[in-house]
Order: sequence, then C-alpha cells, then structure tokens
Amino acid sequence: MNFTNFDFDQLFSMSDDTNPIMMIIWIVPIILFVFYGQRIQLYITSNEIKKEIKKLDSFKETSRNGLIEYVKINLKPVDDPIKKIDRFLDYFTIMPVDMDPHGIVDKVQHTVRSREDYTREQVKSLSPNVSDLELNKVQTLLEIASSLQMIYKIVNHMFLTAKKQNNYPLILPLQMLLPFIMEQAEAMKDAIPAFKAGQPVGDGIGPMVVGKMMLNSKKEIISFQTVLSETDFEGRKLFLLKAEGPNSTVGRPSDALETIVSKNKLDTIIMIDAALKMEGEESASVAQGFGAAIGGIGTERFQIEAIATNNQIPIFSIVVKQSVKEAITLMTKEIADQSDNIRSQVYEMIQENTKQGQSVLIIGVGNTAGVPQ
Amino acid sequence: MFSKQKITVAYTVEKCIKCGMQRKRKFVNGDVLFAESSKCTSCDGMASIEKIFGEILEQ
Repeated sequence: MNFTNFDFDQLFSMSDDTNPIMMIIWIVPIILFVFYGQRIQLYITSNEIKKEIKKLDSFKETSRNGLIEYVKINLKPVDDPIKKIDRFLDYFTIMPVDMDPHGIVDKVQHTVRSREDYTREQVKSLSPNVSDLELNKVQTLLEIASSLQMIYKIVNHMFLTAKKQNNYPLILPLQMLLPFIMEQAEAMKDAIPAFKAGQPVGDGIGPMVVGKMMLNSKKEIISFQTVLSETDFEGRKLFLLKAEGPNSTVGRPSDALETIVSKNKLDTIIMIDAALKMEGEESASVAQGFGAAIGGIGTERFQIEAIATNNQIPIFSIVVKQSVKEAITLMTKEIADQSDNIRSQVYEMIQENTKQGQSVLIIGVGNTAGVPQ
Repeated sequence: MFSKQKITVAYTVEKCIKCGMQRKRKFVNGDVLFAESSKCTSCDGMASIEKIFGEILEQ
C-alpha cells in the first residue's frame, strides 16, 4: 500500500462544507472549551500547584525535623521536646488594629517584642542552662520552621478553596504568586544549615564591617543584644553599633540610638545593610544613598527616623545588593570580598560629610550570626 | 532531570596579623570571624579568621 499519495482534501472532505464528520471535528472542541475550558485550565494548573505544595510540605517537615534533632542533640532537654516544639510552630501573632493608625508602631513593636520574649523564655524552658548562642540559634530555627509551616498552610488553603469551589479565577492569584513564594520558601529552607553551623549570612555584611572596626576598642552592651564601641578617626568621634555577635540576632539599634542621643550630640548617622537587588542588578554590588537602611517589620526604622528627625541628624546609607536567598544563606564569596571596600567607603563618607570635632554613629545593620566584634 | 546537583561548601579564610599571608581552608564548626585560629605557616605570627563564605560546587 502506498502511504505517500493521500489526498488530504478527499480524506477530510475539506472542499465539502456539509460533511457532518468535519462539522463534529470542529464543533465538539469549541463546545468543549466554551463549557469546560475553565475546568480544563483548573485541572492543568492544579497539577502544577500540587507539585509546589508537595515541595512546601517537604520543606516544612525538613525544617521541623531538623529543629527537633538540633534541640535534642545540642540542648539536651530533660523532657521530650517534640510536643512543645509543635506547639511553638503553631503560634500565631495577631497584629494590632490599624483602623486608627495613631500609635500603631508602638503597638506593633510591643506585639512583636512580646512574641520574641515569649519564644526566648519557652526555648529556655526546654533547657534552662542553654547558652545565649544556642538560644538564639534555636530561636532563629524556630522562626524559620514556623514561617515555612505558615506558608504551607496558606498556600494549601488557597488551593483547596479554589478546588472545592471549582473556581478557576480563585486559583489565578495563587498561580501568579507561587514562584515568588517558592523563592522565599526555598531560601528559608537553604538558610537552616548556615544558622545551625553559626556561619555568617549575606545579611551579616553590615555587622561584619562594623565588627572589624570595633576589634581593638572597648565594647559595652547599650541595649538588648546590641553592642556599642567608641573610637576616633581623623579628629572625629565614632560610635560603632551592631548586634551582639556571634549570636544569631539583629539586636535593637533603635533603642541603642535613643540612649546614645540622650547622652551625646550626633552629627551624622551612617547605616550599612544588605538590600534586595533588583532583577538584572549585579549581586554584591555596593550603593550609597540617603535614609535609614534597615529592613524588618518597620518599627526599628520608624524609631530611627523619628530620633534623627527630632535631632536634625542626617542619615547616610551604604547597601550591598543581594537576592533573598543570598541574604539569609551562607555569605557568598562576592559579598564577603566587599567588606574592605565598604569600610573604605565608610571612611570616605565620614571625611566628605563631617568636620573635625564632630561625632558619627555607624550602624552595622543585620543578622550577626557568626560575626563577633 | 539530568541537571547536576549543586552543593554549597563553606570555606574559612585566615589572614596572618603579622605578615598578611592568607590561607583558605574548609570551614570547621566553631569558626567565627576575627577569631585567632592558628599559627601562620610562613612566620611565627597568629592568623585570624578574615572571611567565612560559601562556594557552590556542581556534582
């Protein structure tokens, strides 16, 4: 049989518009897509989302099991910690009502700090003789595991609601947001080994720069988990501030600033921090700017800005651009290599913006895990 | 499916305070920045930890 001389026109009767088989071939898919198009899309999208939810579930389980294992080995708790840890992981925070925004920052700060204090006490209760270093590590690991659990719960809830209602438009926002959520979740999962080993993370570049500047000077605890040191540079008085390393903490720089300003006259504040890079921007690139460079929920920044405004102190910033993953995982070589460059930029900034006899506060903002002073 | 697995290896860079010689080695637990870690291999000075960073290797 010769398969090469088919007449397609004849086979499908393309020249004949009244052929019923041809009509069915064209009309059935149209009807199918008109009535069931959304369901087909829902089915395809669901399968993609299901795969990601499975990944999120595995991240959640890995972080939980890793935390339990770490606590059992390093904290040596008297009782079985699983029940307690599972209870911590489910802890939620109800943010204050913002219908009347007056005083909202203080309320948010109070809520967040109360949660931190509570978690710290609960971790201490697992092993009363735990060192501050281990305590902060466990607290950070707990925050990561708790965040991954929350992400999983929210994504799963959105997915199941859309499936239950057979509602395709409801699944669209989830489909659009999921790549960003996955990026954050994967970054958090990858951050666990670095925090367990007490290694510096990308966010620790600010404390790394200031920590080195503090090395041969006297240090004092100025506010909760925050260290201050005083030194001189070309006739200027330098106040160096960072979180107390090598613990995994960001300290409370705003409280420290309040104390410093109440006792001294500051002329300039310089903040060094990690900043999220935009797509296309080079990782570990350094940029200078104005304003308070500090992330987090916003309460620290608010307080620093308020104090600076009340005392007419200009704030300069130096930021090191990096991705979400780079910021919370083991510091990359490119970021670590920038530390000397940033230090020289800080000194240049001091020379350019202050006169002899003036005082400058330099804040190394970020998590100071693995970075002492 | 056939993509290479990426692993992050942590390194510690030590720098001699006296002669400035740098040495790169694998990170060991307990390493923290600026800590005096070992004797310099080229002089009798002490080396302190200058950097700790990760490098991605493909397997």
